[in-house]
Amino acid sequence: MNFLNPFFLIGAGVLAVPILIHLVRRERSEIIPFSSLMFLLKIPKRMIRQQMLKNLLLMALRLLLIALLVSVFARPYLVQSATPDGPKSGQGRGVVMLLDNSYSMRYGQNFDKMKSEALSRINALGSGDRMAIVSFNDSAQVVVQPTPDKGKLRAAVDGLEPSFAGTRYFEAFSVADRLLSQFGGQEQNLILISDFQRTGWNRSSRESVIGHDVKAEMVSVGVADSSNIGIDNVSVDATSFVRTYSGRVVARIHNYRRDKEVSVPVALLINDKEEARKNVLVPASGTALAEFSGFDLPLGFVKGKIRIAADDPLPQDNEFLFSIERREKLNVMILDAGRSRQSFLLRTAYTAAPDLPFNVRVGNASAVTVEELGSQEIVIFNDVPRLSDAVRDRAVQARKAGQGQFVILGNTADLRWWETVDGFPAKPLRRVDVSKERGKSIAYLTSYDRNHGIFKRFQGSSRLGLNTAQFFQYIELEPKPGAFALAKFDNGHPALVESPANDRGMLVFASALDNTWNDLPLKPSFVPFMFESARYLAGYNAAKGWYTLGEGIPIIGALEGGTARVVDPSGNQDSVGEGELKSGEQRYYSPSAPGFYELRVGRDRRLLAVNPPSNEGNLEMMIPEDLLAGVQSTEAEARQTGTFVTDDKLEYARQQMGWWYLLLIALIAGIVELYIANTRTQSVRRVG
Amino acid sequence: MELLARTVVEGFVTGLHQSPYLGFSVDFAEYRQYQPGDEIRRIDWNVYGRSDKLFVKLFEGETNTRVTIILDMSGSMGYGSGEVKKADYAKMLASCLTYFSYHQRDAVGLMIFDEAVRHNVPASRRTGQLHTLLHHIEHAAPTKGTEFKKPLHFLAETLSRRGIVIFISDFYDEPANILAGLKILKAKGNDIMTFHIMDDFELTFPFEDMAQFEDLETTDKLHVIPEYLRNQYLNVIGNHIDALRKGMSAVQIDYTLMNTAKPLDAGLFSYLAARAHTL
Repeated sequence: MNFLNPFFLIGAGVLAVPILIHLVRRERSEIIPFSSLMFLLKIPKRMIRQQMLKNLLLMALRLLLIALLVSVFARPYLVQSATPDGPKSGQGRGVVMLLDNSYSMRYGQNFDKMKSEALSRINALGSGDRMAIVSFNDSAQVVVQPTPDKGKLRAAVDGLEPSFAGTRYFEAFSVADRLLSQFGGQEQNLILISDFQRTGWNRSSRESVIGHDVKAEMVSVGVADSSNIGIDNVSVDATSFVRTYSGRVVARIHNYRRDKEVSVPVALLINDKEEARKNVLVPASGTALAEFSGFDLPLGFVKGKIRIAADDPLPQDNEFLFSIERREKLNVMILDAGRSRQSFLLRTAYTAAPDLPFNVRVGNASAVTVEELGSQEIVIFNDVPRLSDAVRDRAVQARKAGQGQFVILGNTADLRWWETVDGFPAKPLRRVDVSKERGKSIAYLTSYDRNHGIFKRFQGSSRLGLNTAQFFQYIELEPKPGAFALAKFDNGHPALVESPANDRGMLVFASALDNTWNDLPLKPSFVPFMFESARYLAGYNAAKGWYTLGEGIPIIGALEGGTARVVDPSGNQDSVGEGELKSGEQRYYSPSAPGFYELRVGRDRRLLAVNPPSNEGNLEMMIPEDLLAGVQSTEAEARQTGTFVTDDKLEYARQQMGWWYLLLIALIAGIVELYIANTRTQSVRRVG
Repeated sequence: MELLARTVVEGFVTGLHQSPYLGFSVDFAEYRQYQPGDEIRRIDWNVYGRSDKLFVKLFEGETNTRVTIILDMSGSMGYGSGEVKKADYAKMLASCLTYFSYHQRDAVGLMIFDEAVRHNVPASRRTGQLHTLLHHIEHAAPTKGTEFKKPLHFLAETLSRRGIVIFISDFYDEPANILAGLKILKAKGNDIMTFHIMDDFELTFPFEDMAQFEDLETTDKLHVIPEYLRNQYLNVIGNHIDALRKGMSAVQIDYTLMNTAKPLDAGLFSYLAARAHTL
């Protein structure tokens, strides 16, 4: 038995205290002259002995209680020697070979060298030796379970292919440790063949997973000075509402060479057609940016690529994929109560310029049909009293499928009804007339979340300040749990509330926007505010420009729902999850290779671009011994913490469960002690 | 000691409404001015003739009772939890009773004992007897062990006439031994009164901390954890007192348990009651 916190055992010294007190008091006991001991001597000895025994038992229980508590804090555990009898001669060796097939192994001849080294290790196996093969990238797979069959092992190595995934050494070592434990008393060997890419080692993983008595061989097939040049990152605005792309596509080119700068031609391809080309000079061990803009886009999704013409040993990272969707103008429907000019200012905000990406329709909420409502990207409910049940249900369904909804509360809105709408993010409390309620006539919208998508463009612009607008009346809102108050009045009441992160798609504004309750529509900030709100509402479900391999891609059910299918770069179809993807339901898809994927949900089509992890292009090596030192326990560590035959977590936990049993015994001892002490106290009280 | 005894006894007697013993003697004691309620036959008409004032003639009582006080001065009587030890208390009681009896014209004797008889003054009414007795009482001090049989047998042999025997002791012996000696005295026609002198700590055993208890008679020591023994001790001493009380009651011996923490009144009352009964 050993202890996790042996310093707590010092507390066992407390055990001596009651014994010492007892002895000291006995030595120093006072002499009391008494008339005669005649009556004291008449007391039956049996009763005194009983009392003394009872007290000795009590003292023993208390000492036991202290000892148990000290032991509990010291956390005892059972230790088994990793190899109780040492490696048994004549049994042969147990070997686990870890083979790196991460993306970076595609560099030059690294993968072939790795295979060659692996085969030579297989050939070197003696009779009685058993070997297991594990291939790893960002995860680890056992390719061959422990076997002495060299043919099977060779075939497994021949069949290995380099992947596009990243590198994580820790996963590989964890699997290796499990396999090594199967070798029992055999001599345990570990072989790692890799390029020892530094980015594959997470320095925070400090847990030792390999026993100190495992003989490890680190075989490096990497190159000390790589001459790789690759594309690190491409930033792209994935949605365009206009033919000529108004955003910027910015590619970052990374030169991993340490010795010289490189001039690289960078090309932008749209649907495999080169649209632009630039030359960038990338410094040694540095990066350079290439920016593209103003190219034309056809309607729908386009396949974008950034390609560099570099002659380096890792050509796969010379191309970076992305997708852009050129969309028609957003369909915005403004529904109001039918009052004259009620939505005039709102409509004006969305049609102020001819190139604004909005098709705006204004209608009476009582007359809108379910079909009309479902075909909109954005619906603005401008101070609408209430909706029919059918329209309301369709609105809820549409919002879950991606429709953005903006609810403006004013004089005619039925606050109690709106509160009951599914997904409505706030509870309207009362109508506030500022001049009557607060003793001053005007409220200002003074605080808003400057990091939120709607308000980002308001930063640094004094002209676009929302705080110049004067509010005379508003509805006091109480955000529901999980909802966010994005903007607030100067008295702290929320002005703009967004639905919770898990049920997004609705914004609620607490004051009418028809120039009656406030003068916000007359302020310069009004148009950008409504524009950004609409962009935010329409784009929250937009796909990213590209994804990294290994990342889960969220897929949300369209308005009608339907079967979710993915067409991979090879043209193979794969369904995402089982059954039909319901409207608003979310699933995740993990692609296995880089390339363009077509995602189909019902009638909805999306194009996804997937790239391999860009950090794999950085082939800087780490010293193999450093890596081994990071995962293999030392002999001293093994002595201190105990080395277990297996690293099975459950077994490990079971061996440390001893303190629970001790605590239980301490509890029982405490109860017995309380009982005995209590009976004794009662007898003393009766005498008193 | 005489002063002390006089103060206690006279104070005690004055406090009584009427002395039942005054007026049984023929010896003139003093005159007192007549007060309504006095018997007219007691008025001294001669004095009235000389002074025109009514005086009543008072007489002192006289008796031929022999009172023998037996005082235990064994080592255990030297115990006292407070300022007053059991021996002091017993001596005060003995002095008071001696003084009282002497002034009641009784022949008073004294025997002081521990393991053996240390002093024995036979009962007498002679002049100087009171001072002799009080002197012996004053100088008596607790010594070693206790032995009841010897002094009681000795007394039984030496007492020639019956009388009152007052026994003052803490009775640290087996009840059977004590009763055996007393029964012999009782058989000779004596009235026996016993005063059981006990300290308050002996009756309540209020000790808390563990200590070595030293026997004042034998100097033996015993480790005692009072918390453990209190209950049993109180049972044992209670049984002892009950045995004494019942044993003495069975042979018409008066028994009075006296706690040194309380005044002497109880002892004096007991005596007076017994005296009246004797007369």
